[in-house]
Amino acid sequence: MHFISTSFIYDHSWAHVVIGMWHKYPHPHCSHVKTIDTVDRSVDSKTGIIRTERIIGCKQKAPMWIVKLFGGSEDAFVREISFIDPSTQTASVTSVNLSLSQFATCLERIQYTPSSDGRTTFAQSAEIQTRMNMWRTAADKLENFMAERFKQNAHLGRAAFTDVLSTMWAVNKQQGALS
Amino acid sequence: MAHSLSPECTPLKHAYDSCFNAWFAGYLEPTLTVHEQREKDKNPRDYQKRKAEEFQQNCGKVWESYRECVQKAIKNKGLTEVLDQAREENPLREPPPPLDIPSHGGSSQNSK
Repeated sequence: MHFISTSFIYDHSWAHVVIGMWHKYPHPHCSHVKTIDTVDRSVDSKTGIIRTERIIGCKQKAPMWIVKLFGGSEDAFVREISFIDPSTQTASVTSVNLSLSQFATCLERIQYTPSSDGRTTFAQSAEIQTRMNMWRTAADKLENFMAERFKQNAHLGRAAFTDVLSTMWAVNKQQGALS
Repeated sequence: MAHSLSPECTPLKHAYDSCFNAWFAGYLEPTLTVHEQREKDKNPRDYQKRKAEEFQQNCGKVWESYRECVQKAIKNKGLTEVLDQAREENPLREPPPPLDIPSHGGSSQNSK
């Protein structure tokens, strides 16, 4: 099993980051993300928590050995569930791969919480694990590949989101400075 | 905005996303009159309930059409089975417990 965890500060308020979440794609840094669909959403009238389930479609070339061994294709799908709780100012996003999931899973968790100085803390963890009934060498290779791919995409995702947020809120900031 | 799984659902998806985004921005950063703010502070539950109803009223109809379209697309792409399996393995009906936050800017990795 691979475990990856990281944190980062976004230079925007929690509300702005969470509003921006829905505007992250498409982005030239993340050209592998092709489609996004909401498949379920509920707003809890008691707690105010919004739960959203989305399916994200990606197109990213897989190495030949993966295609040969596991029959994967360029199209990969991810299920993402997010909870946004305005009363505690917590947003959590959990994602897991639907494609190749009979061989291995990559479970990613992201959390956005306000930091003490009005900015937003981003925390991210990922667990990459192959299913038990696999030939060990192939399992290790697949895990390593998924971990590397995860790190590349996470890096691109952060660059993209930083970009989106500064574009979205730049005008407001200027107005704020002027008023 | 990103595309939908199926091109025929994309216009419905865009309409639904725009509706949600407009509602959501107001949900997180409400511009309230003094009177409304007082009501909200006095009775946050009523306020939340009203906002949930407002979402349903504004976006409920376009959601029904979009959902119908995307359900069909999921079936056509052969994703129904893997999605059902993922939901069974990890229902995620409730928010997960908080993450341990590594020190700022830090990252760690290990494999076993």
